[in-house]
Amino acid sequence: MTDWTAFDRPEVRAGFAATAGESCQVLIALDGIHCSACAARAERLLAGQAESVSVNLAARTLSFRFKPQQKPLSVLLRALDEAGLQPRVLAREDAGAREVRERRRAFARIGVATICAMQVMMLAWPSYFGVQPEPAIAQLLRWAQLVVAAPGVLWAGWPFFEGAWRAARGRALDMNGPVALALAIAFGASAWRTVAGSGDLYFDSATMFVWFLAVGRYLESRTRARAGEHLRLLAGRRALTAQRRVATGLETVAIGQLRPGDVAVVAPGDAVPADGVLLEQPLELDESLLTGESQAVLRHPGEPVLAGAINVGAAPLALQVGRCGADTVLAQITQLMNRAHICKPRLQQIADRIAGHFVAAVLLLAGLGYALALHRGASQDAALGIVLAVLVASCPCALSLAVPAALAAATSRLARSGVLVANAGALQALAAIDTVLFDKTGTLTRTEMKLQRVIPLAGLDEQSCTAIAAALEHGSRHPIATAFAGIAAAAADELRQAAGAGVSGRVDGQHYWLGAAEHAPCPVRLPETQPGETLVVLCGAERALACFVLSANLRPEVPALVEELERRRLSLELQSGDAPATVQALAQRLGIERYAARQTPQAKLQRLQQLQAGGGRVLAIGDGVNDAPLLAAADVSAAMPHGAALAQSRADLLLLGDSLAPVTLALDVSHAVQRRIRENLLWALGYNLLVLPLAMSGHLPPWLAAAGMSLSSVVVVANALRLDAVVPRRAPTPALAVVEQR
Amino acid sequence: MPSLYLLIPLGVVVVFAAIAIFLWAASSGQFDGLEDLSKRMPDDDA
Repeated sequence: MTDWTAFDRPEVRAGFAATAGESCQVLIALDGIHCSACAARAERLLAGQAESVSVNLAARTLSFRFKPQQKPLSVLLRALDEAGLQPRVLAREDAGAREVRERRRAFARIGVATICAMQVMMLAWPSYFGVQPEPAIAQLLRWAQLVVAAPGVLWAGWPFFEGAWRAARGRALDMNGPVALALAIAFGASAWRTVAGSGDLYFDSATMFVWFLAVGRYLESRTRARAGEHLRLLAGRRALTAQRRVATGLETVAIGQLRPGDVAVVAPGDAVPADGVLLEQPLELDESLLTGESQAVLRHPGEPVLAGAINVGAAPLALQVGRCGADTVLAQITQLMNRAHICKPRLQQIADRIAGHFVAAVLLLAGLGYALALHRGASQDAALGIVLAVLVASCPCALSLAVPAALAAATSRLARSGVLVANAGALQALAAIDTVLFDKTGTLTRTEMKLQRVIPLAGLDEQSCTAIAAALEHGSRHPIATAFAGIAAAAADELRQAAGAGVSGRVDGQHYWLGAAEHAPCPVRLPETQPGETLVVLCGAERALACFVLSANLRPEVPALVEELERRRLSLELQSGDAPATVQALAQRLGIERYAARQTPQAKLQRLQQLQAGGGRVLAIGDGVNDAPLLAAADVSAAMPHGAALAQSRADLLLLGDSLAPVTLALDVSHAVQRRIRENLLWALGYNLLVLPLAMSGHLPPWLAAAGMSLSSVVVVANALRLDAVVPRRAPTPALAVVEQR
Repeated sequence: MPSLYLLIPLGVVVVFAAIAIFLWAASSGQFDGLEDLSKRMPDDDA
């Protein structure tokens, strides 16, 4: 059973609990919750011991408040643990808590606006039907409207006043300006007329206007929250305590106390606390949040393990700590995503500026409409109605939402597939590229060799041959050995390495030799190979047993990717620092016509500039380490940086999944974003231009203007959300093509 | 009609009572996770 007492320590608690006075609020993940019955059980368990217990079944979390002086957290956690609910304390997320508070507040504003709008209409109905109550009753109804409308306009509409005030103080104009002005005019004029006891009232329009706007804002904020979801999940994966192995056994320490070189133990189901190297035994890890790979991956001893991965194996995981705290890949991803969320792409800056000018124009036009209406001899009431309609209808909310809504949706879509957008502007540039420049080593190819096929030569089956070879190569640092890594092998003894030739040794009492075909101690009939493939021969005592064909360690997804890029009529180029023969073999195998070998980073950069000078827009794909200048100079850059290289990477798109396959998805999303943004801007501008003349000429009542404006914002956001459903386009597979022919 | 002098203010008071109840409900998280409710089974013990 886990030792939960570490969570009682104040310094550990500071890492996860939000303290308010004597009580602490905590968020616990309950992996053992599967149904509503479990949820009810968890709530019953804590009843009487903690306050405001609430289970979120979808997220499998439990939050509650408790008083540390009265009831230590460890007691509550042990109770949950003993009930089989597998509690896991989640890191405190200030942002998350704030978002919840803001969402509740926004929802409350909608509710209040609803109640007030309905009641004001009830009180205003005599005037709708031209009923003339006796003067005292009419005045009472006016006052009642004022009192009921006050919370509906002033409290529910407060964010608009606040936003306008903030913008005005910064000497800027945003869409809150016209809204606040319209609300102030409508409410102020009506209140004045209530006191004066004569004239039309706009309380009903004002409250309804707030209601429409509040609903629009609420929908918009939900969209934004969805975009931030991935970030919140990442932050939640931060482990808070770790089990450190010491001479006497295990001790629980706060995460900050872990140091490089320590050996940490991670129980099944727990998150890895730091980056490091796996020890002792192979284990399955869930790295989906870090890489987008939804399947659990099997890691072998000696392989790197990242903080935030979940141990989904059956046994505890031992880990030699390498990097901890802010140095971990997880921390860097979080930091990068935060940065990407903060920086505004250029197009959005332009849209904001246009919106600012637009607001100024709307204010002027509203004034103009008022003057014109009075000049035409309209009543004061009708003129005021025109001002309100112009202010409300042409407020450019949709215009300022058009770009950010689309980019936010696209970023969250890509993050789910393991593509981190470090620079949101790159998403738009990506749609315009015509050339893709590949780096070879570490990008198209891996540093390891891959066992392509086994050709048995003398009766012995493939499996035993491979096992013998693996035994001979076990522990070797030769590149050939990487092809046999991860294959279960018997122990070999009398291992002797002959430099450049091969390795010999004894497995199960028999002598074997493994090495390059030309050095084989016995005659071998060699099979045909393709360029870029390497042959290795296994020999027994007197004859050759098998041939192993090792491939030029190409990433498995690359041929399909190259084909797909060519299908999209992108021109491909391979720039490599490798030997000409290797580069040529690879380029021919992939069908890339333009390639260059023995290129220095300087030469690659020159080639890039040459392409750009010729009007080309280049996507550079590299490993993010040796080609930093190339990536920085390209129009768009994508890289697969690992570990510490992540934070320094200047690439616009970071492929976290150690695979190039998401490049296609990124291209699709970038085209989709471009379309969505164009549609959104067109819609927003078109709507405003259409509605402005109607409002100016008095054909649009203020309440209809409010509905139209909110609707246009919702259309823009909903259109952006369609990006969430983008799936990579692929050429039909042959099997599918056959079915279609039939 | 004189009853209106009582009923209209009374109506306003009821509106404010409704607002107060709604605000309390929203701030105590009763409207959080609305999609969750449909998946939960009725709690007979409570």
